[in-house]
Amino acid sequence: MTASLDLTFTLNGDAKTARVAPNTLLIDFLREACQLRGTKRSCDMQICGACTVLVDDRPVSSCTTLAADIDGAVVTTIEGLGGPDGLDPVQQAFLDHNALQCGFCTPGFILSVKALLHANPAPSHEEIVEHLNGNLCRCTGYHKIIDAVESLVRP
Amino acid sequence: MPPDVPTTGNERLDKVTGRAVFASDITVPGMAHGRILRSPLPHAKIVKMDCTAALALEGVVAILSGEDLADLAQPYWGLYFNDRPVIAHEKVRYVGEPVALVVAETPAVAQAALDRIDIDYTPLPFIDNAGDAIAPDAPRLHGNLEAIADFYFKGQARPVSGTNIYQLYAISTGDTAAAEAEAARVFEHTYTFPGIAHYAMEPHCVTAAFEGDRLTVWSGAQSPTAVQKVLSRVFGLAYANVQVIVPHIGGGFGGKASVKIDPLVAAASWKAGRPVRVALTQEEAMLTCRRLGASITLTTAVDANGIILSKRAAILLDGGAYADTGPAVTVKAANRVIGPYAIKNLEIESRAAYTNTVPGSAFRSIGGPQAVWATESQMDEIAAALEIDPVDFRHRNLLPRGGKVLDSLRPLDADISEMMGHAGQAITSMGDRPAAGVAVAATDPGVLPLGGALVRLLADGSVLVMANSADIGQGVRDVLRNVAAKTLNQDPAAIRVAGPDTATTPFDWGTGASRSTVIIGLAVEDAAQDAREQLLALAASALEIPLDGVQLVPGGVATGSETIPFDRLFHTAFGIDSGEIVGRAMVTPSRKGSDFATSPLFWETAVGACDIALDEDTGALAVTRFAGVADIGHAINPAGAEGQEEGAAIQGLGHALYEHLAFIDGQPVNATPIGYRIPAAGDVPHAARTVLIENADGPGPMGAKGMGEGGLLPVAPAIANALARRYGIRLRDLPMTPEKIWRALRERDSDVP
Ligand code: FES
Ligand code: FES
Repeated sequence: MTASLDLTFTLNGDAKTARVAPNTLLIDFLREACQLRGTKRSCDMQICGACTVLVDDRPVSSCTTLAADIDGAVVTTIEGLGGPDGLDPVQQAFLDHNALQCGFCTPGFILSVKALLHANPAPSHEEIVEHLNGNLCRCTGYHKIIDAVESLVRP
Repeated sequence: MPPDVPTTGNERLDKVTGRAVFASDITVPGMAHGRILRSPLPHAKIVKMDCTAALALEGVVAILSGEDLADLAQPYWGLYFNDRPVIAHEKVRYVGEPVALVVAETPAVAQAALDRIDIDYTPLPFIDNAGDAIAPDAPRLHGNLEAIADFYFKGQARPVSGTNIYQLYAISTGDTAAAEAEAARVFEHTYTFPGIAHYAMEPHCVTAAFEGDRLTVWSGAQSPTAVQKVLSRVFGLAYANVQVIVPHIGGGFGGKASVKIDPLVAAASWKAGRPVRVALTQEEAMLTCRRLGASITLTTAVDANGIILSKRAAILLDGGAYADTGPAVTVKAANRVIGPYAIKNLEIESRAAYTNTVPGSAFRSIGGPQAVWATESQMDEIAAALEIDPVDFRHRNLLPRGGKVLDSLRPLDADISEMMGHAGQAITSMGDRPAAGVAVAATDPGVLPLGGALVRLLADGSVLVMANSADIGQGVRDVLRNVAAKTLNQDPAAIRVAGPDTATTPFDWGTGASRSTVIIGLAVEDAAQDAREQLLALAASALEIPLDGVQLVPGGVATGSETIPFDRLFHTAFGIDSGEIVGRAMVTPSRKGSDFATSPLFWETAVGACDIALDEDTGALAVTRFAGVADIGHAINPAGAEGQEEGAAIQGLGHALYEHLAFIDGQPVNATPIGYRIPAAGDVPHAARTVLIENADGPGPMGAKGMGEGGLLPVAPAIANALARRYGIRLRDLPMTPEKIWRALRERDSDVP
């Protein structure tokens, strides 16, 4: 492999530096170098949203993003939500509405919803469904996921 | 006793925080990575394989290929036949079959090495559909194989010697010819159903580690003891030396049932002398297994009053290159094509044939969706021809509760007519129009009543429930926790459900056939009862009071006014405040208090009703309202039960409208996440309702029945029936794509004189 790149970024609230090969994918960087395995790999081709993380509050498919692209950015993974005081409201809503079964899609959905509510704090029902179209779940049938998001928007 | 508790399991907390460890999250020190070279041809001889250049690549550790099989104790394995080599041996039988597995220091190196393997094939004639497979001059995939009896399922397959047919199953009652002769009308239709991908969001992932004669496997396996059994045969190891550990599983639906890539990955570790991890891509998962496609011809005779006199069914299933559990699918498709109807004269022949395509295997309600698609579509076709309302036509023919689908089977334990009423009401509660399409189903889960559990009450009052029941998202851990909490009268928060781990947890047959709530639920209930009796006896003797003077309360035992925490009880009894009580149980076919002699142990019933909207210019169909009804006896984990029904219905929607794993000239043409569409959030009905019927009349704890499969069954025929009723078109070939709908609309309009 040719030269490495030096990255400076914020990961789940902490300032970080790292050296990566230029062709390292963000998902591998997060799962292997950072040991953050809450980011899941499913389709590996930007179809399913399982690998979604937030880069500067926008949802990004980490399976098709280079680690190099997070230089200077603020990155949030599922491990960065919530804190000592408890869960993030989106995590809590997913629990309260039983919006998960196997849970493999769940980190991606939760981060995708975070991004939606950041960009649009009061989405309509249609906007919620449209946004969630970018994430696939084979277990739940989506109703409870949609309900969870609705509960955050129209309590 | 505490009431049913809302789910509070830690596993769920782990899943929303990203802490849950899935099969694909496992790492083992010293682990290497495997990538698989797959056959590009549907049927071919391997004439040459040269791995020199690949082995020379820096970072490559070892390459497993067919040449290594000679050193294995049993190089071919299977559930009904030992028809499948651990890795392709001398020939390949489908596009995607593993032919070499490169083990390397990183996945990237392993992937790069695949290109350096030099293979020559001589193509052989192939067959890519079941119709061709049963032609007299069809090329054969396998020689005559010896059926293995009672290996995974009870019984054995009945192949037709000299053909590709690996299972033939027939049902015959009464006299269909006589019934047809005296019938007012006889209807014959053929319905087809494609192969369908499981598409669990987590593709198969296995990590295997050989240490001397000990093998440890971390696998997203629904049936850990089946994996253990097959691995022990393949490598000639004692069961005790094969440990299968199941982390969280990112979806299964049958695609991770029985045994899948475990022998392949274990063989790679055996060859490499290192722990090896193989994580399939989603495309590879789609080349690993699929639901069996089917063609079903139904010939149904009715009298002038709309009473069904007889039914003949010819079922032909596309089994793919290896039998896997296809023989069981074949049997179930036959039983499930009857429906919950009183039909005296039956003639059913169900066959499955090998084809040069992805191996067929179990998928949520084996054989059920294929059978119910045919039967429930035809029910409406007959009703329409007789000008009877389809609900009324079903009422005329439904079995009552206690009626018999077949004499050999347990009487029906649900009231389908009542369930149809609930479905109709649920639809009108969501909108004005009555349901446009309805379908019903009654299926006989193949539940093997064999599985155990340990319930360990520890000195601090926490409880470990140890069971080999895999949680594939259906919430079985919550069910087991609630059962143990009730029986021991403890706070569910004090209970942890451990396992599956074949080294520490008692045998269980596996997760499938809607059996865990009933069988492992009972095992946990019995084990908790055993622990309870031991605890009360211990308390009575240690405290020197009569047995009926003590009872269990959360955190300890109560003697009249005093509550003694468990650690104090243990201190009094054992001299120190340590120790534990181990409750144990093994549910077997002769369990006291259960009637496990007749099959099925319970019926899985379902009614679905829907309304649809259609854009007649494009053929785009949307389900606007959907209602699903299931009789589940008792919901031990209500949220989980509802989620199972909803999820099953949306999988059924995928089967109905989008999904079809297609082969052209033996080549899979859409086995990728881009080419294969599963339902997304925007596809689900705007209004949907699930009705759970609970009469506490099931064989499981608190009267529960198994569930989780039925919700899938009525969806496709209900939609097809709605299309016929509202738009005058009848589709008999799934999936009902916009193109097929559009063509049917054009045909309808051109038929108008
Ligand atoms: S894994 Fe990245 S979008 Fe599916
Ligand atoms: S919960 Fe299993 S994929 Fe969504």
